[in-house]
Amino acid sequence: MATDTQAEKPASAEGPGGARRLGFLSGRAGWAAAAVALLVFIALPTQLYGSQQRTLAAAFMFVALAQGWNLIGGFAGYPSFGNVVFFGLGGYTTAILMAKAGASFYVALPAAALVGLGFAALMGVPVLRLRGHYFAIATLGVAEGMREVVLNLDGLTGGGSGLTVPAVGIEATTSYPGNAGFYYMFLALAVLATAVVLWVSRSRFGYGLRAINQDEDAAAAMGIDTTRAKIGAFALAGVITSLAGAMYAFQQVSIYPARLFDVQFTLLMVVMAVIGGSGTVVGPVLGALGLTFLSEYLRDNLTDYHTLVFGVIIVAAVILLPQGLVRFVQEGWRTRRFSLLDNVRAYRL
Amino acid sequence: MTEFLQATVYGLLQGGLLALVAVGFSLVWGVMNVVNLAHGTFVVLGSYVAWQLNKSAGVDPFLGMFAAAACLFVAGYAVHMLLINQVIKAPIWMTLLLTFGLELVLINAMVLLFSGDFRSIETGWAGDAIALGDVRIPYGRLAGFLVAVGLTLALVAFMSRTRLGLAIKATGMDRDAARLMGIRARRVYAITFAIAAAMAGAAGAIVGTVGTFSPASAPAFTLQSFVIAVLGGLGNMWGALAGGLVLGLVQSWGGQYLSGTLVTAIAFGVLVAVLIVRPAGLLGKPYYEARVET
Repeated sequence: MATDTQAEKPASAEGPGGARRLGFLSGRAGWAAAAVALLVFIALPTQLYGSQQRTLAAAFMFVALAQGWNLIGGFAGYPSFGNVVFFGLGGYTTAILMAKAGASFYVALPAAALVGLGFAALMGVPVLRLRGHYFAIATLGVAEGMREVVLNLDGLTGGGSGLTVPAVGIEATTSYPGNAGFYYMFLALAVLATAVVLWVSRSRFGYGLRAINQDEDAAAAMGIDTTRAKIGAFALAGVITSLAGAMYAFQQVSIYPARLFDVQFTLLMVVMAVIGGSGTVVGPVLGALGLTFLSEYLRDNLTDYHTLVFGVIIVAAVILLPQGLVRFVQEGWRTRRFSLLDNVRAYRL
Repeated sequence: MTEFLQATVYGLLQGGLLALVAVGFSLVWGVMNVVNLAHGTFVVLGSYVAWQLNKSAGVDPFLGMFAAAACLFVAGYAVHMLLINQVIKAPIWMTLLLTFGLELVLINAMVLLFSGDFRSIETGWAGDAIALGDVRIPYGRLAGFLVAVGLTLALVAFMSRTRLGLAIKATGMDRDAARLMGIRARRVYAITFAIAAAMAGAAGAIVGTVGTFSPASAPAFTLQSFVIAVLGGLGNMWGALAGGLVLGLVQSWGGQYLSGTLVTAIAFGVLVAVLIVRPAGLLGKPYYEARVET
């Protein structure tokens, strides 16, 4: 099946054989670059201000979120527009366990992952039967609906006035890790998420997902249990995203439904994964880091216009780099031709 | 009983208006297979055009409505030719992302131009009401309902009785076959998008008259259009009308009898349930789904 993929789409650098042939961000050079980057990120916090640590922690969180989306949207080709539902559920599970049950964060964190896993499997069964736009809208509907449910369960969630995690004083169940603590927590999550995606991209499971992406009926005919593969990818995304939500809730201390179920989170993870390169391992990492820094830079330097400029950048990136940064560079590397105009021509009518 | 009647009347009036808000969204989705996340901002842009005309020249919003529709028609045509057309053959989430970026740009441009304050278009007459027994019907809402339903029906007639309307339908069914028949698909798409924007702009003028609006109202209009388009079936104009009335009634009754914002949760619950059980919508025919994508 791998040979088929390559014969049909020579551009994609999926699979060990293809990667070696293309020779960009792969093999030993790629591993070395990843190791250096990781060491730099581990050593970096001592050189940073608190605010810079917070920005980087947010960037790592988005790496994890974008990788979560990458599994279901990039590999399986099911564009979920409701991944924030796992983020919100993870956050609320943690906050409720810590505030109401007096649990430690290290108990609440795996509990959040379990909730994310369970909800993804539960929701996946009916929703993953839908395709294309219908799937996108159904997931969006589930996320928006869940926000309203959480908003109206005042007794458990505090409703619109929110819920506060006990983080300081004698009430605190786990001492607050501070900026550096969350930096390492989100870094670990980003590494974990990327490792999961790397494993998926090389496993039989990942090839099954790619086959589903290209032609689901053909994949089923080839003997892939498509329902199981799709739910598996969705559940993995759910676990990663709900872990991020759990950490985010602890970091923010006070959480509100409007913030934790904000559709902006979903859109940002999609934008980051797609601009970096959905269905690749490195793409979402580059997209998440790049866009978080860019957004932060714009916020500092263009106070009034930053969201507007951010929107312009998204529009430009979608038109100029529809296949994502990673695929663009890989393709250019192979053909020695870097043309943005070719990208524009590819999808216009 | 009076409360129920008032809620019903209000829901129907609001539903007709929502149908006009959503009909263009449904048309674009059904014909072009594009989910336009910026649709709500077109509605609010229409509100601002009518508001500005009313403020600086004293134009009645029901006349300003035509100016709003004309402005949005031109803007919609340009947006399609410059942006949407560049990614029309890309995977669907590319168009979703593109329109999301466009929404960010437009909302923030409106905040910079008009500030984020809530506005309302002032008229001398729209707030007055006729009373049918105990039920009050404000003139502005009644006129808005009639105009909205009238425009929606006019679009139905346009789609089934003119050459251009039929060309739009044909392109929606099978783009390549339509092109072989001599239809210029790119122009048809641009006109479809422009009509959708114009309808949204006209709806915006009415929305601004019967209630308040701000740049932040835009996403809510987009979400309501989602629900209506799915309920009614994509690209189905009658369906949009029915879906709008249903959503208006549900929201109005829910607001009367349910606490808090649970009614929104129910609306989304209904949406997901309809999607799963009957993806073609309540009135929809599945042919848009079955068309060939290349």
